[in-house]
Amino acid sequence: MFIDTLLSDREGSAARNFLLSAILWGVIGMGAGLFAASEFSWPDLVHNVPQLSMPHLRMVHVNGVAIGWLSMAYIGSMFYMVPSLTKTPLWSEKLGNAVMWGWNLMMTGMFCTLINGFTEGREYAEMGALLDCLAVVLLVGAAWNVYATVINRRVKKLYVSLWYFLGSLFWFPLVYIIGQRTFVALPGLNDAIVGWFYGHNILGMWFTIVGVGMMYYLIPRITGNPLYSHGLSMLGFWGIALFYAPTGTHHILQSPVPEWLKAIAVISSIFLLVPVFAALTNFFMTMKGRWQMVVTDLPLRFALTSTVFYYITCIQGPFQATRWINWYIHFSQWVVGHAHLALLGTFSFISTASIYYGLPRLTGRPWYSQGLIRAHYWLKMLGFVIMMLALTTAGLVQAAGWAFGIPIDQWSMQIRPYWFIRWISGVMIFAGQVIFAYNTFRTLYSAAPALTPAAKAQEVKA
Amino acid sequence: MNGYRLGATGVVATFFTIVTSTVLLPMVLFNPKPSGHGNDYKNAAITKVADPARGRQIYVREGCFYCHTQFTRLQDRGYGPLVKAGDYVQETPHQLGTARTGPDLTNEGGKFPSEWQKAHLIEPRSVKPGSIMPSFSFLSDRDMNDLVGYIQTLGNMRKVEHYVEAPEEFKAALARNTGKTSTTADASANAGRGIYTANCAACHGMEGRGNGPNAISLEKKPANFTRPFYKQYPDDFWFYRITEGVPGTRMPRWGETLTEEQRWYLVAYLKTLPKDQEETVDSLDQLNPVDVIRLPKLSGQIWEPASGSQRGE
Repeated sequence: MFIDTLLSDREGSAARNFLLSAILWGVIGMGAGLFAASEFSWPDLVHNVPQLSMPHLRMVHVNGVAIGWLSMAYIGSMFYMVPSLTKTPLWSEKLGNAVMWGWNLMMTGMFCTLINGFTEGREYAEMGALLDCLAVVLLVGAAWNVYATVINRRVKKLYVSLWYFLGSLFWFPLVYIIGQRTFVALPGLNDAIVGWFYGHNILGMWFTIVGVGMMYYLIPRITGNPLYSHGLSMLGFWGIALFYAPTGTHHILQSPVPEWLKAIAVISSIFLLVPVFAALTNFFMTMKGRWQMVVTDLPLRFALTSTVFYYITCIQGPFQATRWINWYIHFSQWVVGHAHLALLGTFSFISTASIYYGLPRLTGRPWYSQGLIRAHYWLKMLGFVIMMLALTTAGLVQAAGWAFGIPIDQWSMQIRPYWFIRWISGVMIFAGQVIFAYNTFRTLYSAAPALTPAAKAQEVKA
Repeated sequence: MNGYRLGATGVVATFFTIVTSTVLLPMVLFNPKPSGHGNDYKNAAITKVADPARGRQIYVREGCFYCHTQFTRLQDRGYGPLVKAGDYVQETPHQLGTARTGPDLTNEGGKFPSEWQKAHLIEPRSVKPGSIMPSFSFLSDRDMNDLVGYIQTLGNMRKVEHYVEAPEEFKAALARNTGKTSTTADASANAGRGIYTANCAACHGMEGRGNGPNAISLEKKPANFTRPFYKQYPDDFWFYRITEGVPGTRMPRWGETLTEEQRWYLVAYLKTLPKDQEETVDSLDQLNPVDVIRLPKLSGQIWEPASGSQRGE
């Protein structure tokens, strides 16, 4: 019946639907970002349309890519990785699909409210009260599904990815509830402290943990190498658990919040190098003897690019969280570059790897075109590198301006070229995402091409 | 839980330890007393013409805080007094911001005339060439008024306790001057007035309200000396600003043209300008008028470049 089509209990349908929705929201979120980026270069592009003014587009961009694209790709990936790691079907595909529809409903609500400026005015927590409640219900639904699957598991030992997924699904709903401040009115600086606890832990307790868990799943799976060290991965897990959550205050290091809180944030930020190096050593040692695979295996190529960007992000992060570096580069576009390095360079790439790896297995159809996957890779990778360089350079110009007291009027013209370069990189990244969506569409809705046995073997590997 | 009890306990325990120490503890320990010097957008004098509290909602709705911060740091010279913890008790949701694509707005109130602010919101590039601020021409007249009302309250109650200090050599200048030119005597201020009128009034205005005839053409507007926090400028800082100018603005380095004594007289005069309530210029019509300057007719006199005499007349 109709309800059965909507809430299918076919195995893998929840994961597949989540991944497909993610791709769609990725196009919308990145499109909004590109539009906003063009308004940096052509500020008079749109007049008298509040929906298309830069701040409104920015809200749609941030929420679209973070809560739409990345989070949906994460849940979709967990919905196929967890059953595979536990050798148990997902506890309830119906519940999974219900969460998927609810999530799409929430994203639609997000789009309609934020584009019209109905915002709570809290960075990364802009969605209104109703959508916040819906988000908590959906997160709990997704967590329930994963936890119940793990409880019913047929493999006794929990692989490290499961540690990351289960940890995150316990922490993140709580972080979300604490961080929204929807029903409390805290005085200014306390609001900021809680706000940045949330703002940083949506990264720390969600994007990083699940993303790293996906890296732990994909790299050994694709290469066929066993994980280099279980002990090292546990060091990484507990390191993140201990040191990631208190770092939020480094976003307001120069505001008049208590010094002890800033000290905790700075020290934990530096200590984060421990779990990062543990995880990366693990990934790179697991790759031993298989590095040539990145030439032919595209999901692995995305995954490894993601780990390299993760490495750069996590060197940069503690570096700019120290007081003197923060003194210089805070408020500048450098930080925007860093945010894109984490969310676009690292976690978007690992989500893409997971989709390229998982979707053929969930749908039983090989990718329509390997060439388009390569085009997606190069557009996204080069586009991102160009964006990062442009934003970092612009950030250094700005930072010098603020640090030496030069009024903005004197240097704002100097960074316009970098904003133009950023726009070009945005076009590349957006084009990559559109190609991705097109490739997915053709994969699902065109008759599968007759494959030669050799090509088929390659598809299965890919 | 199937042999993972220790792990699960760890996951729960680490999280709640951290939440207790970095979220709950600050709520308990960190309760700054209202300083009374934050933004008084609720009881601002301006409420007769606009509703700043509603303006703040529009500030939030239009996402101004994505590009404009509301906290000054030690190194932010020229952005007014430093903020203190007690300044923010009224600010929910906070509008501290994290990125500055545009300038900091902590003390924006009174920096520009309200008409300028409105023109800037409608067509930013008409008053700030090179700005990339989006146009907010879609705001209704009421929204616009309230938003400008809110912007004009920013920093209206701010008082200064800590300043960026003048560099060491100006402390030496202060010591050199001790016992020579008084910076509090009326006579010094009177001497300074002449120097001010001759050198400063063209930009800073006759009353020091930052509305001199040149102000209209300057991208970075000249300072409004009637703002109350200037009362707390120490002598050496005034002297430093006059001597070294302000980098990136048209404020020249008067150390090149005025003698040290003249600059101390100027300090004495400038110290008389700050008021208890700053005098905001509401309209561009309030710019000090200026007569058309008539240059003397050019002739072939000897001091004129490339004049006849040099051609061997």
